[in-house]
Amino acid sequence: MTLDLVIQQLVNGLIVGSFYALIALGYSMVFGVIKLLNFAHGDIYMNGAFVGLVVFSFVGIWVGNGWLGVVCALLVSMLAVGLLGVVIERFAYRPMRNAPRLSILITALGASMVLNGTALALTGGKHYAFNTDLGFAGVDISTVHITYTQMVLVAASISLMAGMQAFVSRTMYGKAMRAVSIDMGASRLMGIDVDRVIALTFFMGSALAAGGGVMAGAYYGSVHFFMGFIMGLKAFTAAVIGGIGSVPGAMLGGLLLGLLEAFGSSLPFVGSEWRDVFVFGTLILFLVFKPTGILGRSVVERV
Amino acid sequence: MVVSFKRLACATALAGLALTTVAAAADIKIGIVAPMTGQLASEGQDMENAVKMAIEAANAKGGANGDKVITITADDACDPQQAVTAGSKLVSEGVTAIVGGYCSGAVLPTLKIYGDAGIPFVIIGANSTKLVAANQGNAFLANSTGDMQATTAVELFKKNGFKKIAVIDEGDAYSSDLAKLTAEAFMGAGGEIATKETTNAGEQDYSAVVTKIKSSGADAVFWTAYHAGGALLTKQLRQAGFQGGIVLGDGNNSPEYLEIAGSAGEGVYLLSPPTVDLLSGAGDFKGKYKETYGRDAGAYAALSYDVGDLIVDAIARAKSADQKAIIEALKASDFKGLAGEIKFTDKNTLQTSNFRPVIAKGGKWVAVE
Repeated sequence: MTLDLVIQQLVNGLIVGSFYALIALGYSMVFGVIKLLNFAHGDIYMNGAFVGLVVFSFVGIWVGNGWLGVVCALLVSMLAVGLLGVVIERFAYRPMRNAPRLSILITALGASMVLNGTALALTGGKHYAFNTDLGFAGVDISTVHITYTQMVLVAASISLMAGMQAFVSRTMYGKAMRAVSIDMGASRLMGIDVDRVIALTFFMGSALAAGGGVMAGAYYGSVHFFMGFIMGLKAFTAAVIGGIGSVPGAMLGGLLLGLLEAFGSSLPFVGSEWRDVFVFGTLILFLVFKPTGILGRSVVERV
Repeated sequence: MVVSFKRLACATALAGLALTTVAAAADIKIGIVAPMTGQLASEGQDMENAVKMAIEAANAKGGANGDKVITITADDACDPQQAVTAGSKLVSEGVTAIVGGYCSGAVLPTLKIYGDAGIPFVIIGANSTKLVAANQGNAFLANSTGDMQATTAVELFKKNGFKKIAVIDEGDAYSSDLAKLTAEAFMGAGGEIATKETTNAGEQDYSAVVTKIKSSGADAVFWTAYHAGGALLTKQLRQAGFQGGIVLGDGNNSPEYLEIAGSAGEGVYLLSPPTVDLLSGAGDFKGKYKETYGRDAGAYAALSYDVGDLIVDAIARAKSADQKAIIEALKASDFKGLAGEIKFTDKNTLQTSNFRPVIAKGGKWVAVE
């Protein structure tokens, strides 16, 4: 492998990895707090992209299709879809909170289908163009072309993740979140409004996924109702690799997965069709040998 | 486990919904099998709309042999498993004939079901050569097959002086078949294949493939799969600074390709099926389609309309709803539709290729002279 190729794959891996990491964060946070694999999370990402596209087309009339439009779309979509996450939690998951784990898992599948089916009905299965004026300008490192958009994208997702980490580790709400994840009953006895903390977790997780959706939509230039499916699976994989329930783990897992995909499929004699085999093969290996992931703590079952 | 359950449950629910149409006893039932959900739902919708339009027009003129023709749509979701379920349901509904089929991968396993039941089946979009081999004699391919397209592709490469081609498919029966046939034909004609890659359907990120194409030194890329991936690949190739030619297979002929690819799509070649915009006599159809369904007629709308017409025509020529007679009538078809003529070879494929190369200029497909 030449140096150019290494740099190119590093760039490729970092970009995809940032998307995985953003979405994995929401998976991981929700799992940490209520031990639910929120399968609707990939669809939340898709909804975020669509809301972003609507906002973008709308504000585009005044501010044009440049950065300002993308930033507006990003902020509005994060807020709106964050609230959607809260609504889903309130009406789909909260009534099931004390039900057996399998029931709530199936509720999550149901929520995923509702979101996916609604998007299909509203969009007619069409791929919508998310055409920005961000352009392909950038810097060249020998034969590798890195656009400014790519740099901004990686920087933006890293700052979002860093903000989230700071929120969870430094603020009172973050502390409450961590407390609820350790022991929900005890937290309630300590006067923590558990429902509110869970709603907040859903809000933040969904907002991050929506942010990822808008960035992916604007970067790849296309949005469709099925885009959350594979993304959701890979983000889940990233969350498991990093250690599900751990915020830095999700970020690490996402970036590692992105790099693994990029370098895995560029090995000699390995076609790019093997990319998903690397991803899900790694998932299986982790589930078998280290189910707690890289940064996850092992959970002691108390009976 | 969870995932397959999710897809399966979704699929069954939708297939059930799609089959709830109830028929009166004397009507002739035509099954439409198309992807109504999933990635290619938009194409499936077009096929259903256009076939229905043709059949409604025929009913207004008195139907087939004086009987009213009704349609039953079954959703194959372009998924082989679901296609089998959809096909079996159509058979148990007792349809006289079936039209449709967009993805070759989904059509392939259903050929045996329809063949065993002896139901005439006119395939609208799917055109893998594997379908020809698996045909039991009751199926007809109304679209040109992959090998005809490969020939058109190689002619286009030579005309543009492309010497090293990267061939990219999506791993399904249709696109991998076209990729293989084109690679063989191009090497046979003295060309070189720089790299042959397969991408995963439904993916947004093509950076790994783009990097491979760039480092392979290819002077052109041939994408054999569908428009959703095609647009993304085009965009990402240009973003990474790839300067060579881009040629697309017929699955990319959708207005969505040009919308999504935007300026990156300029100068891209496409091997086009007979779409309404390229057909001189289809202006009325285009207007009427938009008026009826509130959307533009997609790539296969004209051909779907023709097939709807053709099947009614064949039933009329068979002078009965007897399936053997209809199959014989289809074999003897000499039909002139919106998209051109439909005459079948002894293998039930089209006699003349209906592919034509077009180039994207100013956000539109224009014919290459």
